[in-house]
Amino acid sequence: MTDQPTPTPGLEIRELHAGYPGRPVVRDVSLTVPAGRVAAIVGPNGCGKSTLLRAAARLHTPDSGTVHADGADIWALGRRRAAHRVALLPQSPRAPEAVTVAGLVRYGRHPHQGLLRQWSREDETAVREALDATGTTELAAERLDRLSGGQRQRCWLAMVLAQHTPVVLLDEPTSALDLGHAVEVLTLVREVAAAGRTVVMVLHDLAAAARYADTVVAMKDGRVVAQGAPDEVVDAALVKEVYGLDADILRAPGDGAPVVVPRARAPRPASAPVG
Amino acid sequence: MSAPHPTRTPRPGIELPDTTVLRTGTLSWLFPRRGALAAALLVPLLAVLVALSVTASSTGMSLSQTLGGLLGTGDAGTVMVVRDFRLPRVLVGLMVGAALGISGCLTQTLAGNRLATPDLIGVNEGATAAVVAAAAGSATGMVGDWWLGPVGAVAAAALVVLCAGGAGTAGYRVLVVGIGVSTTIGAVSDLLMSRENDNTAGGVFLWAVGSLSGRDWSAGTPLLIALAVLVPLALASGHRLQLLRFDDDMAAALGVELRRVRAAALALAVALAGVAVGVGGPIAFVGLAAPVLAQRMAGPTRVPVVCSALTGAALVVAADALGRVIAPVELPVGVVTSVLGGPFLLWVLFRADRPARKDRS
Repeated sequence: MTDQPTPTPGLEIRELHAGYPGRPVVRDVSLTVPAGRVAAIVGPNGCGKSTLLRAAARLHTPDSGTVHADGADIWALGRRRAAHRVALLPQSPRAPEAVTVAGLVRYGRHPHQGLLRQWSREDETAVREALDATGTTELAAERLDRLSGGQRQRCWLAMVLAQHTPVVLLDEPTSALDLGHAVEVLTLVREVAAAGRTVVMVLHDLAAAARYADTVVAMKDGRVVAQGAPDEVVDAALVKEVYGLDADILRAPGDGAPVVVPRARAPRPASAPVG
Repeated sequence: MSAPHPTRTPRPGIELPDTTVLRTGTLSWLFPRRGALAAALLVPLLAVLVALSVTASSTGMSLSQTLGGLLGTGDAGTVMVVRDFRLPRVLVGLMVGAALGISGCLTQTLAGNRLATPDLIGVNEGATAAVVAAAAGSATGMVGDWWLGPVGAVAAAALVVLCAGGAGTAGYRVLVVGIGVSTTIGAVSDLLMSRENDNTAGGVFLWAVGSLSGRDWSAGTPLLIALAVLVPLALASGHRLQLLRFDDDMAAALGVELRRVRAAALALAVALAGVAVGVGGPIAFVGLAAPVLAQRMAGPTRVPVVCSALTGAALVVAADALGRVIAPVELPVGVVTSVLGGPFLLWVLFRADRPARKDRS
């Protein structure tokens, strides 16, 4: 989308291994996402996408390997310092009881605040901009639990944006949304990247990944099996390898983005209905 | 009403709902208005309760006599009764209540459950066991020094934390282990008690229901020193505790060192409950009721540390005064809070069913 002369790495993951005792989940993953770009991680359930994201957000201690955000090794930073560089929106976050939208978004400023600095002018501006950017300004005084799913997800995004981090990680930001709201959130993600941030999101929907990401990263069994521009990476062979599905790849008439259409599986001979 | 995607013009900051901002230079503080208002109403209420409690007695001292005693203008006997017996006892009750209130508030926030109380992590049973053991071991069979309670409480809580696998563990696990450990320690206390004579057992029993009878500055001074250290720490931790209301991943992603925050809050809760129990005995229900009432007054969005302290103080002062005037023989404060606490617990349980708590998106 935006062509920068020298792409500085926004997020750089090198030879990362992570998992649980006796059960490696992420194996030898290396991944570089330049600043201002969107990367989408796709793959079947349990392939290590979420663990990779948690390791990159400094929530899951890797067994080996490094994560650099905006040039700094986040595992060498404290939790709070790391939260200045990387923000994560988990898949279904739980909000504090009865919190309002403005009340929620202000928590995004927590890593920047302290006992003697509870609400600075920068905090105010950051929250205001985050509300504006996500179109939630009018909802600021509403209670979060009284909003629709799409509105709520925009509020969560506002909170993450208010954190003012160069790297933003989103775990399935559209999983609970209908098509219209999913597109709305993904469009917002593009705007976030256009403003110079690096976005890495886990997505279930390969077609959405192909359309809204600059880089598609396909994972299987904890390894990256393919990564690159959607045009180059998303093809029938990849779908076969990652999901074990036969599929046709069409081109969207509008912009030529790859569209994945799974073929109906051949019925098993024993139970084949007579057609 | 602004458009969804406005042009990038610098705009003024956002008003936080129900919050007042105080700024000087690079320093800034937030004051939740509703909580501040509740605290502002609780302080005079507490003052009135203290005045009533100092005056209230079964011996019939008038208000002017009490005032005279307080100011030192009355006769020597009255001055001594008011200054050396009544006032210290009431102030000790106030401090015990505040400590129990804050401790309950921290415990409930840690566990994410309004029914969690410090005694569930073994504080009461530990303190009781220490006092019983000391009384059983001493020649006179008297209830010993005030510091036995806190030591026993901290030891029991440490045992609970150890069994639960560390202070950073999620609150729920600590509570479940705490119930088991408490029961075991309680059994040991009962065993010791059953071997004592009636005199010792009676003294320990009076302590174990929670009583402020005869508490003076010898208990009040160490309590004051402990609170002077612990209360500011608890107030400071409130800022981070707010974040425990998110799930763990979200809180950690927002820069909260969860294990450290949890361990600190748990240590504070145990220490506060420990000194309170050590001085006043295990006064029931204050640790449960104060934060719940404080939450209702201060509003649902905050961790009400200050209001819990004030509410706890008010509850204990009021219950102690009530115990002295209501019956011909003085009722221990713990008996009064127990009598009031049962119905209160039912009220909390019935209310807990009502509000729809579906914040998961």
